[in-house]
Amino acid sequence: MIWESKLYKVSRYIFLTAACIFVIIPIIPLVFMALKTGAEYSSTSVLTPPKNWLNTYNFKYAIKVGKLGKALLNTAILLTISLTLQIVFTSMVSYVLHRFDFKGKKIVMTLFTLTMFIPVVTTQTVVFQIIYRMRLVNKMASVILLYSGVGIVGIYIMLNLLSSISKELDESALIDGASYFRIFRSIIFPLLRPACTTMLILNGIGYYNDFFIPNLYLRKDVQTFTVALYKFFGNTATPFEIVAAAILLGIVPIGIAYLLLQRYIFYGLAGAIKS
Amino acid sequence: MKKINSRKLIIVTFLVLPVIHLLVFAYIPIITNVLLSLTDYRGVGVPKYIGLKNYKRLVTDPQYIMLFKNCLWYMLVAIPQLIFAFILAVFVNGKFRGLNLFKGILIIPYLLNGVIVSTIFIIFFNNSGTLNTILKAIGLEGLQRQWLQSLKLVNPSIASISIWRYYGLNFIMFFGALQTIPSELFEAAAVDGCKKLQEILYISIPQIRKVLFINILLSVSGSIQVYEIPFIMMNGSNGTTTPVIQIQQSAFEDNRMGLAAALSIMVFVIVVIAVGLQSLVSKKGDD
Repeated sequence: MIWESKLYKVSRYIFLTAACIFVIIPIIPLVFMALKTGAEYSSTSVLTPPKNWLNTYNFKYAIKVGKLGKALLNTAILLTISLTLQIVFTSMVSYVLHRFDFKGKKIVMTLFTLTMFIPVVTTQTVVFQIIYRMRLVNKMASVILLYSGVGIVGIYIMLNLLSSISKELDESALIDGASYFRIFRSIIFPLLRPACTTMLILNGIGYYNDFFIPNLYLRKDVQTFTVALYKFFGNTATPFEIVAAAILLGIVPIGIAYLLLQRYIFYGLAGAIKS
Repeated sequence: MKKINSRKLIIVTFLVLPVIHLLVFAYIPIITNVLLSLTDYRGVGVPKYIGLKNYKRLVTDPQYIMLFKNCLWYMLVAIPQLIFAFILAVFVNGKFRGLNLFKGILIIPYLLNGVIVSTIFIIFFNNSGTLNTILKAIGLEGLQRQWLQSLKLVNPSIASISIWRYYGLNFIMFFGALQTIPSELFEAAAVDGCKKLQEILYISIPQIRKVLFINILLSVSGSIQVYEIPFIMMNGSNGTTTPVIQIQQSAFEDNRMGLAAALSIMVFVIVVIAVGLQSLVSKKGDD
């Protein structure tokens, strides 16, 4: 146990409390605003608490007008398909890269590694042309296609775990007559579950929050939740207390996911960064 | 014989789609952009080679120099952001009551998306918004400003949002790094009567030097790619345009594909330098 002086302990609490205030203060007016009536919003200061803490009018209105339910469903479909594809592909690539030696292996690994030098924002103008020629603009398939690519972070996480899975498992299964595909499906993939969970959380949060890609490719009928919130926000005709309610609703899914996965998120993030 | 074939089969089938994806959506576009950046391509017709004209324009025309100047604000705010995150990580690294509650609250901003953060800070910086209301309440009316209208203040104001939004990531990284320091080091220091501050200066900082540097580079490559907050909050107005906003505008609204490509390549080069240094540092620390 590391010894800590009393002064240190006190300053810790003071600093951490101040930091939490710094985090929370900007959010408070949003909560207040979402609970105020239109008249109340225009006549009171942003830091005045609402009169009626149970005013749900703004939320109901936001859900109805913003078509948030449909947008949330779109996001759910999009995330489910993309993440499933991405995780399956990542584990396939990692399995091959870890368990086999073959000509060109170095090249493949280098190709994947070098993608970290190519940020999405520097290629999107050309990628847009490609997606456009594939006639996928304004279709969910465009975003799913872009999201299901295999990233180097995912590969690292999986390779890390693969080195702790004994090769004897593969070999004995091979002797028993199992095919490589069977070994991957019945032995390796199930053992990669912790890595899948980490990827699911990391990329799930990332994709749920992403604005750049869906805003570029899904401009018309199909909207993700984040883009729907943006449209809401950008429409000056919408009263701001309604916008506030919609935004607050946008925090709910993340909040639920966070409460359920709190432990995994913190250590998942720390672990992913370390590897 | 059968085994060799099935080996080949699994290697090829498992790699083919992801590798094609990689080529089509990362490598071909970036190479295309390099080529396009040397032309006057406008979306239709045949691109005409014009040499480095696009680049020359980007580094001489004030309209475009401004884009990179704006990024400097985002790099600048990374300094207080990293200091804040580091102090937090030092304090959180330990066992005490309320640890999980603090950690839970401190990570919130990092989980919120750009639209949510933008709304929160529109309210924050509005003329009768949170910041001005607080300034008035504590008797500092003199400091009230039109944060988003003033051409001088708008960029530092919205850049400072990055502190709130992203310190969480730095905090998690620092925290992770601090936890890898063997506790014997601190114990030995305590036996020698080492003060906490000395401990931080002589043990914590040198031990996580690598992570510190990686975080700085992360901020640099993040700053050059800033998009969401200025786009959503300001739509790039009031001189808040950043390189990425300009890339989209040039490409999709003005049809100046050549110029957009050149700008993309400039951002790309800066990212390559930052990320390159970063991986160099990570490798070096491993031995």
